[in-house]
Amino acid sequence: MASVYKSVSKTGTKAPKDEEGTKKNKQRVLVLTSRGVTYRHRHLLNDLVAMLPHGRKDAKLDTKSKLYHLNEIADLYNCNNVLFFEARKRQDLYMWMSKAPNGPCIKLHVQNLHTMEELHFTGNALKGSRPILSFDATFDRTPAMKLIKEVLLHVFGVPKGARKSKPFIDHVLSFTIADGKIWFRNYQVSEVEAPKKTDDTDAADKPKSKKSSEQTELSLVEIGPRFVMTPIIILEGSFGGPVIYENKEFVSPNAVRSEIRKKKAQRYNSRTEEKQRLETKRGELGLEPGRPKGELDESVLFA
Amino acid sequence: MAKPKSKLKNALNRQLGKDPIRDKLKKISRRQPKKRESIGDEKKEVEEWEDAEEEDEDDEEVPELVDTSKNTSKTSAAAEEIQDKDEEEEEDEEDEEEEEEDDEDDEDDEGDEDEDEDDIALSDIDDDDLEVPDLLPHQKLTINNHSALTQVLERIALPLSSLPFVEHQSVTTDAPVEIKDVDDDLNRELTFYKQALDAVNIARKKLTKEGVPFSRPTDYFAEMLKDDEHMGLIKQKLLDEAANKKAAAEARRQRDLKKFGKQVQFAKLEERNKAKKDTLEKIQVLKRKRQGADTEFTNESDMFDVALEDAVASSGRKDKRDRDPSRASRAKRQKKDQKYGHGGKKRFSKSGDAESTADLSGFSAKRNKSSFAAGKKKRPGKSKRASAR
Repeated sequence: MASVYKSVSKTGTKAPKDEEGTKKNKQRVLVLTSRGVTYRHRHLLNDLVAMLPHGRKDAKLDTKSKLYHLNEIADLYNCNNVLFFEARKRQDLYMWMSKAPNGPCIKLHVQNLHTMEELHFTGNALKGSRPILSFDATFDRTPAMKLIKEVLLHVFGVPKGARKSKPFIDHVLSFTIADGKIWFRNYQVSEVEAPKKTDDTDAADKPKSKKSSEQTELSLVEIGPRFVMTPIIILEGSFGGPVIYENKEFVSPNAVRSEIRKKKAQRYNSRTEEKQRLETKRGELGLEPGRPKGELDESVLFA
Repeated sequence: MAKPKSKLKNALNRQLGKDPIRDKLKKISRRQPKKRESIGDEKKEVEEWEDAEEEDEDDEEVPELVDTSKNTSKTSAAAEEIQDKDEEEEEDEEDEEEEEEDDEDDEDDEGDEDEDEDDIALSDIDDDDLEVPDLLPHQKLTINNHSALTQVLERIALPLSSLPFVEHQSVTTDAPVEIKDVDDDLNRELTFYKQALDAVNIARKKLTKEGVPFSRPTDYFAEMLKDDEHMGLIKQKLLDEAANKKAAAEARRQRDLKKFGKQVQFAKLEERNKAKKDTLEKIQVLKRKRQGADTEFTNESDMFDVALEDAVASSGRKDKRDRDPSRASRAKRQKKDQKYGHGGKKRFSKSGDAESTADLSGFSAKRNKSSFAAGKKKRPGKSKRASAR
């Protein structure tokens, strides 16, 4: 296997890109959670860590209020990105994506998350292969979304030559905006040999590897995990600094839950109110049960 | 009618040499006497402070107008004052609405400006205004600082245009992806799939152009995202699902067969009965023919028929018995064994069971339907009997 890797990587370096050497995509991501995550959150984190060979997983962070400590931790591990999962009330998951030393920092609410394990998709990919990132053009509409796209590119895109990355490309991460939310999907790229009509004519003299890669038909098989992110705020600094974007449409899950509870309580309130109203009405009509019988009472008159 | 809403803008103003807070204070002191004249003016003036930054000339005029009206109403009764207040509030509302409209109009022009002008900052709204819930378009102060966002983006952005594609491997779709109904799972996933597939096709073209290996050779083995154990589980699940489906189909087939089988069984019985009837009829016909040949009484042959037959049969039997006595006795023995013993359960042998109950071979719907008397053969009349004798 090593020989295969060597030969492949050699052909890769042959390309005349090295001489430019202008700017390189260098990213390292610190991945960690807060305390109080559920098993699903943890499994999602493990899935993501497996997909990010340039990631560095760290122990759970104790504090939820002093998030700026994350910058120091990132500095400690030479990371310029932080992917921090914050769990609240053991049910809500918030994702912080930050460019470590001087920002920006994006807070997202993660919903509808399904880990790789529970999804039972048949797709599979090399651990640490570099993904193709597919973005929806809706990202370019507003500056906030543009920024989010850039940060997603830094965090989820595996830079070339990352330490544990593999030389082939066999999966694609797609980010789509729908309903004001960012939907995450992970697909395997599976290649199927195309029908051999063209093969017979001109495959003989040309280099095989190039030819075969062009003639296979691509299809996708989902791998997982799946989740949906709602952007909440963007801070100018990394875990600090002024708020430069705030999502007006975001409704906190606490508000949703309290609304549900209120609605439930409303039922009881309306019932008791109705009861009281009935009682007063009866009292006004003189029909209350403890009333002494008068001369003109029906039961007396028609006894 | 832009107003200072955020601290950011305040800071900006301060840098430019303006001090909004001091300005405000100055204006307050300038208008103190006016304020005493009427309580209702307060709100108006607050608005004017807001406007003061850019339209200094205007706000001098507007309060004057209001003030004169106030002065005239000062003499009126207290009740009227309250009414006036209400009116003023309404006016305020109208003003607010106008402002909002203006802002919306301006938005196109001021797209690059610091803030969206849609919202009114909480700090800019008077306490009195807070009592009227309609005046609060959004409880939340919305921040969407375009210039800061773009500045930050410029700071961190990778130079995608100058970088080779291998470095970032990101593809953005040409047109925004439209999903009509987010709750429609199938279509939604299909659009995601299409987006990803398009991206992969584009990426492969670019990568092959740059001479980067794309597809994994078949003999390259390495650690996978999902380990073998997990894949085994998935495979097992798929197999189980297939098996379940097959079993369900088989069960359904069996059920149908059972339903249908009863009809088949009934048809078979019917057929057997019919065959039996046919052969009996044939025999009857044959007998008649033979009788017709032997005797002259073709019409009343039925009467004699049986006796004759019996005689023939008995004579034949007798012959047989005479010929082989041991066989006859054996048959008798067999019959007796069957009836009285020698093997098998003796009790309840004659009582009906499920099989006998279900056995409908002796039943004929035609005979059952026909009336009781009609089933019997009619006895010939006396003269016929006499003539037959």
